[in-house]
Amino acid sequence: MTTEAVLVVGAALFGIGVFGALSQQSFVMLMMGIELMINGSLLVLVAMWARAAGGSPDGQMLAIVFMTVMAVEMSLGFALITGVYRVRRADITEKLRKLKG
Amino acid sequence: MSPLLEVIAAAAAVAGLLAVGALALAIGDGVAGAVVAGRPIRVLPLLTAPVARAMLAARTGSTTTERPDGAGRAVAPALLAGLAALAMVLLPLGPGVALADPDTGFVVYSAAVAFVMIAVFLHGWSPNSTLPLHGAYRFGAVALSFQIPFLLAMLATALPAQSLSIVRIVEAQAGLWNVVREPLGLPIYLVVGLAVGFWGPLNLPDGDDLAGGTSAEDAGWARWLWQVARLSMLVAVAALGAAAFLGGYFGPILPGPLWVALKTGLLLAVMAGAQHLLARVRIERFVGVAWVLLVPLALLNVFVSGAFLL
Amino acid sequence: MTGALIDLSFAAFSLVAIVAGVRVFRTDSMVRAAFYLLASFAATGGIMVLLGAEFLGMVLILMMAGEMLVMAIVMVMYMMNPAGLNPMVMVHQPRTAVVAGVIAFLAIAGVGLSGEVPSRPAPDPAAATAELGRELLGNSMLVFQTAGVTLLATMVGAIAIAAPRGRHGDAAEGSEEPGLQPDEEASA
Repeated sequence: MTTEAVLVVGAALFGIGVFGALSQQSFVMLMMGIELMINGSLLVLVAMWARAAGGSPDGQMLAIVFMTVMAVEMSLGFALITGVYRVRRADITEKLRKLKG
Repeated sequence: MSPLLEVIAAAAAVAGLLAVGALALAIGDGVAGAVVAGRPIRVLPLLTAPVARAMLAARTGSTTTERPDGAGRAVAPALLAGLAALAMVLLPLGPGVALADPDTGFVVYSAAVAFVMIAVFLHGWSPNSTLPLHGAYRFGAVALSFQIPFLLAMLATALPAQSLSIVRIVEAQAGLWNVVREPLGLPIYLVVGLAVGFWGPLNLPDGDDLAGGTSAEDAGWARWLWQVARLSMLVAVAALGAAAFLGGYFGPILPGPLWVALKTGLLLAVMAGAQHLLARVRIERFVGVAWVLLVPLALLNVFVSGAFLL
Repeated sequence: MTGALIDLSFAAFSLVAIVAGVRVFRTDSMVRAAFYLLASFAATGGIMVLLGAEFLGMVLILMMAGEMLVMAIVMVMYMMNPAGLNPMVMVHQPRTAVVAGVIAFLAIAGVGLSGEVPSRPAPDPAAATAELGRELLGNSMLVFQTAGVTLLATMVGAIAIAAPRGRHGDAAEGSEEPGLQPDEEASA
């Protein structure tokens, strides 16, 4: 398991996430794409922590911050889905052509 | 001994422990039912009932539904049994004696409990049928509610040990068991344990009011496997509860592993009794109690546990 | 674990993470997509454990189990195909998205492979969990607390946005079926 191999896997996860976030119509699927992107970055971060930063504890701390970002993204995303559904009855991106509520 | 042999021996040991525990729970459940109903206890039929059920299951044909998710139906019971096995691997049987003792044993066990909801959801979703799907969504609501009380109740046991390793959590109870140190922990854990094994008053996903819920479309050996996996999960929850709250292998006179078995049996007896003495709880009431009552109580429990350490 | 076993596990986890990640967007049912996403995350958590970040990997797996279930519940509440066993295709601009994904992958992998990665491995991965604990309640306590306050603010904000009664009116207003025509509002 070389460091480069882990970086390539992380990049692949990020690329898949970009593809998903751009191609999916459903809000939930779109969020899955964003999740995969954060997941890829998290993997790269942990690889760097373990192999290139001498295992300094700050690296793990940064990973915890990444996970916080993930949780914030999810909860606000779901709250926005709920809010948008209430106002627009929309469950796909195509139904949101204008920003005005 | 070669590593491969060691792995096989460990797997056999875990499977054996779970099988003995599940059989004991099935028999004990029958006995508790007879006692509560006031029926005479006839030893032989009660002892052979689980075997009879297994033989009946083997003779009954399986069913299929329209456009099911075949992989999901096959994976769900295996996943549930595998999670029970994963939890049992962490169980300390003596001082420093456990099949595996990762530094993060607590997190591994919590992940196993969290994945129970994936297994049950998969089991209810994959037949592509109404009643199982209802059961799956019910368990979704239940499982999301019990996660936080479970994590907090278990977390309080990690405080005196100053470690997330289950072996260390048991070692820290040499002088005083956690059930005394933090009296709120075990009741919360037991309530959650009933929900994790969807058993007795908290049998919401597989309840009779849904004609079997997530297993409504199962017949024959598939249904039997799911029941065995569910009993194994209950055994694992009771065993880890005995380790985390009742001091695991600590106890006078008798050898350590026997104490583990006795304490696990005690918790299983409480669960078997709950099955026959308590009525099934309505789902919205359980969700309300979990968020409004159990979460604050579990937090209080963490504070009390922390105060003991000051 | 020996080196060969680690390499083998890494190959298996990577394969699961990537294949399941692709399947998330190539499957025809949202619930299956959620299961694939969970598989991808669990495999990534496995790689993190292999790298020595035992706590982070296990917490990621634990977190994602709950998240997958929340996704399933959101699908029941709002999506047109709640049980998710009926096939459907809900994709737009697929070609652009594929190109963008491939470019992102090539760019990041290129940077990762062309750059010089310093080799300073963690001295003792076994102590990582204890070190993280000391860091959380020691040097990085302010960061940790900030993360906690951020999560609290998120909870308050999410509830404010999603609450049944608020600046967007009653919950009952949105509780009807969504219109069948996508451009219903535009024509209204």
